[in-house]
Amino acid sequence: MSITLAKPPIAAPTWRAELAHLAVRYPLGVAGACILLVFVFAAIFAGTIAPLDPFSTNPAARLAPPGDAHLFGADAMGRDLLSRMIHGARISLAVALGATILGSGFGAAIGLASGYIGGWFDLIVQRLTEIMQALPLLVMALVITVSLGPSLTNTIVAIAIPLIPGVARVIRSNVLSLRELPFVEAARAVGMGEFRVAVAHVLPNTLAPLIVLATAQLGSTILTEASLSFLGLGVPEPYPSWGRMLSESAAEYVRTAPWLVIFPGAAISLLVFGTNLLGDAMRDVLDPRQRD
Amino acid sequence: MVAYIVQRLLLMVLTLFGVSVAIFVLLRIVPGNIADILFDSAGLIDPADKAKIISDLGLDRSIPVQYAQWINGLFHGDLGYSYVSEKPVLDEILPRIPITARLAGLALFFSVMFGVPLGVISAVRQNTWLDYGLRVISLSGLSLPAFWLGLLILMAFVRWFGTIPIYDRVPESFLQELALFAIPAAAVGFRSSALIMRLTRSSMLEVLRQDYVRTARSKGMSEGSVTFDHALRNALLPVITTIGIETAILFGGLIVTETVFNIPGVARFLVEAIRWRDYPMVQNLVMFIAIVVVTVNLLVDLTYMLVDPRIRYSE
Amino acid sequence: MSSAGRLAVTCLLLSMFGAGAHAQKQGGVLRVTHRDNPPSASIHEEATISTVMPFASVFNNLVVFDPDSRQNRLDRIIPELATRWAWSEDGRTLTFTLRDDVKWHDGQKFTSSDVKCTWDMLTGRSESKLRKNPRKSWYFDVREITTDGPNEVAFHLVDPQPSLLALLAAGFSPVYPCHVNAAQMRTHPIGTGPFKFVELKQNESMRVERNPDYWKPGRPYLDGVEFTIIPNRSTAILAFVSGRFDMTFTGELPPELVKDVQAQAPKAICVMQPTNTQGNLLINFDRPPFNDARIRKAVGLAIDRRAFSEIISRGIDKLGGAMMPPPEGQWGMTPEVLETVPGYGKDVEQAREQGRAIMRSLGYGPDKPLAIKVSTRNIPDYRDAAVILIDHLKNVYIQGELEPIDTSVWYARMARKDYSVGMNVQGVGVDDPDVVLFATYACGSERNYTGYCNAELEKLFHKQSMTADVEQRRQIVWQIDEALQEDGARPVIYHGQAGTCWQPSVKGVRLAVNTIYNHWRFEDVWLDR
Repeated sequence: MSITLAKPPIAAPTWRAELAHLAVRYPLGVAGACILLVFVFAAIFAGTIAPLDPFSTNPAARLAPPGDAHLFGADAMGRDLLSRMIHGARISLAVALGATILGSGFGAAIGLASGYIGGWFDLIVQRLTEIMQALPLLVMALVITVSLGPSLTNTIVAIAIPLIPGVARVIRSNVLSLRELPFVEAARAVGMGEFRVAVAHVLPNTLAPLIVLATAQLGSTILTEASLSFLGLGVPEPYPSWGRMLSESAAEYVRTAPWLVIFPGAAISLLVFGTNLLGDAMRDVLDPRQRD
Repeated sequence: MVAYIVQRLLLMVLTLFGVSVAIFVLLRIVPGNIADILFDSAGLIDPADKAKIISDLGLDRSIPVQYAQWINGLFHGDLGYSYVSEKPVLDEILPRIPITARLAGLALFFSVMFGVPLGVISAVRQNTWLDYGLRVISLSGLSLPAFWLGLLILMAFVRWFGTIPIYDRVPESFLQELALFAIPAAAVGFRSSALIMRLTRSSMLEVLRQDYVRTARSKGMSEGSVTFDHALRNALLPVITTIGIETAILFGGLIVTETVFNIPGVARFLVEAIRWRDYPMVQNLVMFIAIVVVTVNLLVDLTYMLVDPRIRYSE
Repeated sequence: MSSAGRLAVTCLLLSMFGAGAHAQKQGGVLRVTHRDNPPSASIHEEATISTVMPFASVFNNLVVFDPDSRQNRLDRIIPELATRWAWSEDGRTLTFTLRDDVKWHDGQKFTSSDVKCTWDMLTGRSESKLRKNPRKSWYFDVREITTDGPNEVAFHLVDPQPSLLALLAAGFSPVYPCHVNAAQMRTHPIGTGPFKFVELKQNESMRVERNPDYWKPGRPYLDGVEFTIIPNRSTAILAFVSGRFDMTFTGELPPELVKDVQAQAPKAICVMQPTNTQGNLLINFDRPPFNDARIRKAVGLAIDRRAFSEIISRGIDKLGGAMMPPPEGQWGMTPEVLETVPGYGKDVEQAREQGRAIMRSLGYGPDKPLAIKVSTRNIPDYRDAAVILIDHLKNVYIQGELEPIDTSVWYARMARKDYSVGMNVQGVGVDDPDVVLFATYACGSERNYTGYCNAELEKLFHKQSMTADVEQRRQIVWQIDEALQEDGARPVIYHGQAGTCWQPSVKGVRLAVNTIYNHWRFEDVWLDR
C-alpha cells in the first residue's frame, strides 16, 4: 500500500518518514505508545517531578481530599498520593519490564532449543510446559511469591516464571516451521554449524513474534502484580505499589476517602490500556498474518 | 479418535503428576509452616510446644514420605485433614465448589452473551465509528483490573442505593441468588467478554473474506443470512478456544472478585489456605484447579474436532 | 401486634423474669460481623479476640468481672460457676465452692474435677492435651490444684498473688470439660454456657444457638448468635449500616469509620474502647550500634508519640507506658507522671535537637546518616506504625529501611533476636501488671525480645504481685513503669483504641472500658424488634 505524503521523500524514506507513516496507519498504537511514554517518563524522573517525598508522613494531611496542597489527596498517613503514584510507576514498570524480559527471554531460549534440538529434549520441554500451563497464571504466581517471600525481585521472578511456557510454545512452533525453510537449508548446505544456523538464521526470524508476544504480555504482568499486591502478597512496603495502595485503602476508606481507591486503580488501568493499544499495533505491524 | 483420546488422557495423567510434584515441593520450600503460624496466632514461643505441633501434623517426616502419603491417600479418596479446621479437606472444599462454579458459569454466560454479538457487529461494521468504539471498550475490558472494577461497582452501589450486594448469608431463593451473583459475575466477566468479542471479530473478518462467503453473497443471499449462516458458524470455533483459555484466566479474576464481594468460594479460599500454610488444603485445591483446566482443554480440543471435521489429530 | 397485645406480652415477660425497667424480649438471632478466620474455636489455645468474641458464650468461668462494672477490677468480681470463694490466711490458697446444678452441653454433669483438669492442663501438670498453651505464663505462681468432693476446688500458690482471681475472671479463662479432648474443643467445643456451638465454617461464618438447659433461669434471651466473616472493614460497616447486621466486630473500627457509621446510621450506638494492644519499639540491646545506650536514647528522642496517635487514630490513642493509661486502665502512669519521662514531653523539636546532638557526637550527621533496617511484621497495623517510625527517625540522622517479615516467621525472628530495630504491636490479655511485666520484661523470659535485664527492678515485679492493697500496688507499678521507660526497655509508643457499634434494637450489651476480651456471654443481650 502506498500513501501520498505532502512532500514526496527525496531519497529512500528516512526513519522519520517511516515513523510518520506508521503513525498515520496506527493512530491507536501511537496513542498507546504515548501513554506508555508518559508513565516511563514519570518513573525515570520520579525523584524530580514528584511534588513531595512519597514516604513523608504528616498528621495534619491525614486523608486530605484532592486539592491545592495535594492534587490527588493524601493517604491515611498523610502521604501525598500523587507523589506516591509517580514513584509507584517505577514499581509497576520495573515489574512489568523485568518479568516480561525474564519470562520472554527464558521462554525464547527454551523454545528455540526445544524446537531446534527436537527429540527427547523437545519431548521433556513439552511435558514441562504442559505442567506449567495446567495452572492459572495468578495461582502459579501466588504460590511462587509465597515460596520466595515478599520482595521486589521475588515478585518479578514469580510473575516471570508462569510466562515462560506460553512463549516457549510459540517460539518452538515458529522454529519448527523455520527449520525446513530453504534459506535455513541453504545455510546448512554451505557448511554452517548447527548452533550458528540457529543463532544467525533462525533466531532473528523469531524476533517479530517474540516482540509481539512480549508487548502483549506487558499488560498482563502489570495486572498480575496489581492483583498480587491487592491480595497483600506482592511488592512489600516501603515500595509504593499501586495494587497495595489500592487494597489497603479499599479495606478502610472506600467511602470516607474514595480518591485513594480511584486514582491508583485508574493508573493501573490506563497503563495497561496503553500497553494493550501498543501491543495491538505491534502485532499488526510485525505479524501481518494476524492483522484484521 | 479413540486412540487420540486415550493418548490425551495418558498425557493428562502425566501432567497432573507433574503438577502434584511441583506444588508439593513449592509449598515445602515456603519459609514458615503452619506450626509457625499457629504459634504466631497464639503468641507462643516455647520450642518444645512447637516441636510437638510439628510432629502432631507429621511435618517432621521427610518430603518424599509426606508426598507418598498424600498421593496414596488421593488414590483411596482420602484428601487428608485441613491443618486449620482439622476437618476432612473434602468437606471443606466440596461445599465451596458450586459457589465458584456458579459465579464462573454466570460470568462465562455474560461474556458469551455480550462478546459474540458485539464481535459480530464490530466485524460487519468494520472500520466504522461503531467498530472503533467497540474496540476501545473491549480493549479497556482487558485493561481494568477485576478487583478495581468490583470496587467501583460497590462504590456506585453505596452512592446510589445505600447498600451493597455482598454475600453475607446463604441465598434462599433463585432470584436472591441471581441478584447476589450477577454483579460480581459481571465484574469478572467483563474481561472475558472483551476477549471473546475481539476473537469473534477477527475470526468473523477472516471468514467474511473467504471465497465461499463471497460465493454465497454473489448467489444473492441476503447480507443477514450470509453473516449468520456462514460466517458465525465458522467463527464459533475460536470462541470455543477462547472459553478454553479463559477458564484458566477467569480463575485469577475469581480470586480477587470473591475477595472484593466476600463470596465464600474456592478461589478466595485458596488464598486463605496459602496464607495459613494449610498444605493439605492448598495442594488439593491446586490439584483440583489443574484437573479442571486440563479437562476443559481436552474438551475444547474434542469439541473442535467434532465441530470441524477437517481437523484431525494424529500426533 | 396491637399495642394492647404488646402490653400483654410485656406483662407476661415481666412476671416471668421479674425484670425491672426493661422488658426483655425473647428470641431472635443476633447477627455480628467478624473480622477474620479464627484459628480455632478453642479459647485456651488462642490469644485472639477472633476466637474469644464468638465462642465465649459457649462457656462459663469460675468467676467473672461484674458486667455492670465499667472498669474490670479485682474488687468487682462476681461468681459464675463458683458460688463463692475464699482466700486462706497466708494468701496462698484460693478455694472455690461450685454450683451443683450445672450440666455440660452434652448432658454430663459439671464437677470440681473439670476445674482441676482445665488448670492442670494449662499449668502443664497433666499430660498436656493442648496443641498450644499461650497463657501458661499466667499461672507461674500456681503450685497445685486440689479438689474436695465434687463441689470444691482449691488453687495452691507458691507466693501470695491476689490478682490470680482477676486472671480467672478473664474472658481467656473458661472452664473446659474433662471428658472432651482438646482436638474436639478446637473444632466443636462443649461448654456449660448460655449458647451451644453449632458450626464454624472456615473463612465464612460461625454460629451458636440457645442452650435451653442453661443453669441461669430465663437466660439467654437470644435464640442464637451468628458471625459472618467480612475481612474488609469498609465492606463490613457498609453491610452494618444497610441493616444487614446488628453489631460490628468488637474493637475493629478506627475513629474515622465510627464517624462514618454515625453519619449514615445516626441511631447506631458506638463505643470506643482500648483494644488492649500497644505499639512498642524493639531495640536489640545486643546488636551494635544499639548496644550503645546513647544511640538508644537518640532513637527514643526522635519519636513523636502524639504524631503517632494523631495518624493511627486521630489523637484518640492514649499515651502511656507499659500499662494501659488511666482513666480506662487501672495501673498506667497518670499524665503528670508521664510528662516527666524522657520522650513523652510536649516539646518534640527540643527532644529531637537533643537526639541530633547525641548522634553528632557519635560522628553521624545529615551527610553521614546511620543506616538501619526496621523490621516489622508484614501486616497493616505493624507496617503503618513502622512507616511512621522510619519517618521520625530521619530527624536524628537515622536512615531506616523497612524490612517486612512474614507473619509466619516474625515471632521466631524476634525470639532469636535476629533484628536491630523492630516495630511491634503487643496484645495484653488482662489489665493487670502480672501478665505484662513477667513475660515482657523479666530477665531471660522467652518473650523478652530486646534482651532487657534489670534484676533490681525484677524484685519489684514480685513485690507488686504479692501486694494486696491496690493503692500500694499501683505506686510500685508506677515506679516500675517509669524505670522501664527511662531505661528504654521497650519504648511504648501508643495504646490502641477502636470502636464497636450496634443497632439501637440491640439491648443489654455491656462493654468494659479496659478490655475487649470480656463480657461476651451474650446472655443478657436481647433484640427489641
